[in-house]
Amino acid sequence: MSERVSVPIEMVQSWRYSSGDSMERFSNGIRHKRIEAVKCGNCQRRYLPPRPVCGNCHLSLTEWVPVSDVGTLEAWTVVYLPFLDGRTGELRDGPYGMGLIRLDGSDTTLNHFLNQNDPAKLAVGMRMRIVWRDELHGAMDDILHFEEVS
Amino acid sequence: MRPVAIIGTGQTNHARCRDDVSQPELVREAASRALDDAGLQPADVDAVILSNMELFEGRALPELWVGEGAFANGKPCMKIATGGTSGTSSCIAGFHQAASGLFDIVLVVGFEKHSEGHTQTGMALTDPFWDRAVASGALGNFALSISQYMAERGVSEEQAARVAVKSRRNAARNPHAHLSDANATIEDVLNSRLLAYPIHLMDMCPQSDGAAAIVVASGDKARKLSAKPAWVKAAATRHEQPYIGDIEQRLLTMRTLRDASRSAYATAGITEPLKQLDLAEIYEPVTYAELAWYEILGFCAEGEAGHLIEAGVTGIDGELPVNPSGGVLSANPVGATGVIRVAEAAAQILGRAGAHQIEGAKTALATGYGVYAWADAVILGSAV
Amino acid sequence: MRTIRIAGVGETGPVQQDRRSIPEMVLGAVDLALADAQIGHGEIDSVVTASVDLFDGLTASNIAVTEVVGAVMKPEARIAGDGLAATVHGACQIWAHAYDTVLVVAHAKTSMAANGKLTQWAMDPIHLQPLGVNFSAAAGLQANVLAQHDRHAEKRWARLSCERRAAGTSGMAKKLSQSEILASEITTSPLRNGMCAPLGDGACAVVLQAGSNAGGPVLSGVGHDLEAHGLGDRNLVHWAGLTRAFDRACRVANLPPADARFDLAEPSCFYPHEEELFLRATGIDGGTVISPDGGLMAGCVPVVAGMSRLVAAFKWLRQTGNAGKRALVHGHWGPAGQAQAVAIVDGGL
Repeated sequence: MSERVSVPIEMVQSWRYSSGDSMERFSNGIRHKRIEAVKCGNCQRRYLPPRPVCGNCHLSLTEWVPVSDVGTLEAWTVVYLPFLDGRTGELRDGPYGMGLIRLDGSDTTLNHFLNQNDPAKLAVGMRMRIVWRDELHGAMDDILHFEEVS
Repeated sequence: MRPVAIIGTGQTNHARCRDDVSQPELVREAASRALDDAGLQPADVDAVILSNMELFEGRALPELWVGEGAFANGKPCMKIATGGTSGTSSCIAGFHQAASGLFDIVLVVGFEKHSEGHTQTGMALTDPFWDRAVASGALGNFALSISQYMAERGVSEEQAARVAVKSRRNAARNPHAHLSDANATIEDVLNSRLLAYPIHLMDMCPQSDGAAAIVVASGDKARKLSAKPAWVKAAATRHEQPYIGDIEQRLLTMRTLRDASRSAYATAGITEPLKQLDLAEIYEPVTYAELAWYEILGFCAEGEAGHLIEAGVTGIDGELPVNPSGGVLSANPVGATGVIRVAEAAAQILGRAGAHQIEGAKTALATGYGVYAWADAVILGSAV
Repeated sequence: MRTIRIAGVGETGPVQQDRRSIPEMVLGAVDLALADAQIGHGEIDSVVTASVDLFDGLTASNIAVTEVVGAVMKPEARIAGDGLAATVHGACQIWAHAYDTVLVVAHAKTSMAANGKLTQWAMDPIHLQPLGVNFSAAAGLQANVLAQHDRHAEKRWARLSCERRAAGTSGMAKKLSQSEILASEITTSPLRNGMCAPLGDGACAVVLQAGSNAGGPVLSGVGHDLEAHGLGDRNLVHWAGLTRAFDRACRVANLPPADARFDLAEPSCFYPHEEELFLRATGIDGGTVISPDGGLMAGCVPVVAGMSRLVAAFKWLRQTGNAGKRALVHGHWGPAGQAQAVAIVDGGL
């Protein structure tokens, strides 16, 4: 049998994404550690991330409500496999904790890192608080991770 | 919808790396087998639908290069991509096109060649403002949802492992499967590498190279061309809000799959799925999801899924065999995975499922799962 | 086959750069279409979207628009190709009696990334992509073949580009004289910068509904086709795929392809030679109005392109005096028009 031939091609690609009005306000807010959600006037659901319409009611979302930096751990895991950072292409080594946190004042949950990677010390229902980065620049990684409220 | 039926199916031999073929050749392998199975020639095909998640190969508009492999040159052809449901949604699109009156024979081919790209990169291109900085792919997201499911339902790691054992053992009867092991044990699963708590390597679907195809015929053609067509009794799709955090207790509620399956059951006249379905080929990306889907699909009451798998009800010799092919856990070429579900369900009705044939299968369910909670449900039957 | 009425249309663009996010931009088009059709989200049975992941920089890029197109807890199919192909599929859903009202939406933002670089990834990675071939190079090659024995081709294309640019109202296309176009920079010989449709951002939405032709323009025929990929496998001076798509659409509309007459043609022309290929492939002659709003030369959004022509035809048919007239709409994607789609729209009674 002859040798298999493969053609290697390397992909380097970048895009510029517009944030949109509601995400712009949100980003400017977290620069000052201020978190706001949008609230549907019909179903009253308070959404993070902010977005143009409520997908359930098809109504524009224009009302803003304050959200706390403290919330409840609704789901958690510890990831052992190294994972790719979709912004940089760098690998993030395991193990690291991840959670879905429902911040007080929001009805949706936020997925983010936890500073705890021991499964024995994590449980649904724990109270968690945002740990902010020292220098804030208005992006989701201004939140370093969540830690347990002691 | 006007009556249509599946009259032929074909699959490649799925594997981690099919470097013996190019992408068009991989597609050709499945397309040819499906046409042979239907007793048709390429010239008999009126329209082609391709299914593929192009970023996994780092491609754009892959039908342009790969379409030729599906005999699409000189024919109407379009590509459908909706994440994990791409395959089932492409089959449903094939049903619609064959029922439209525009075409008599529609060939649907799904494919993925993960080995030729970088799947994690493709998966990482999520919302750049919200979760791209923290995304951990399907694995991390399932693990999160599983923690809720376990906390709420008390499902054990051992019960989940039984799903993997069933899958590997069933796959040993399926010559197309990527992963199979006739002697797989619960210990094998629990001792396999921990990827993201509580998911072990054998709990999670693999990434495979592979393609699958179905031949869809309009009602009149199906009667002429096939002695025993697999009739499309119902097909339903439901999409969901865009962020994982939008979906309340994802595995527990899964309102999309619940609603799609209820709608399909109603159309097909199914009131007791456990009794009336002869088999199901469901899209189970991870063992725990299969257990959750048992409840969502109405195979058992809430909280009973663990007992259902323990009692062997969904085993290949059980009351309702689920994934006699080995399922997604045994082969997962993403763009083809949903097509495989429908093709396997159809092959069972056609009576051509080989060593994993369920004797006398007359009614079968196939489901698709994608993104965070998108769902398809398809019911096939031996009578119109 | 039951009649499919075009109940309403909406479009945002084209503009060189839409500063809104993808969902905000798409919502703009959807809201306009629903208002035009005088229906609410609740009356939509199914959604068909058109977008391309690599163009949007998003995997399963329809995730970004699920809420704004109203597909939450509803069926949505996403076609990765030109929006006119999505329209073809939406029509099939209605003719199949699967759904009665279908919303079709197409969107793209070329301002997000260099489109010429992205289209390389659609080319055969073994034989063509390593040579750096993209859609623009394929068009140049095709134009070059056409110009081989046609000394006047370049001047004619410059004049056509000039006319189409002049007719445009989008504000995107610079008005250029024939001589300015002939003096503009060569992009892919013999095509010059002034001959290329300016690329931008935009979204289009169309509501298709089972109904009667009493309610305005109807979609009476559709057809599509995929040619061979290899440029050497095709006769580049003929769009054979378009002829097949056109014949199929005529058959659906019960028109004899050889004598089908159209009052309006809305071809998708990214370059002026494509208009000549379009005329040759469809047999359209002097009696037909062509791209009165300048067509794509006035502003072009890949993926949205063919659907924007459908919207243009629909608006023209609704103008006073045009009721009952017939339009031919065209879209294509891929290198040198590899994939083709056609729609025939008949004005209402």
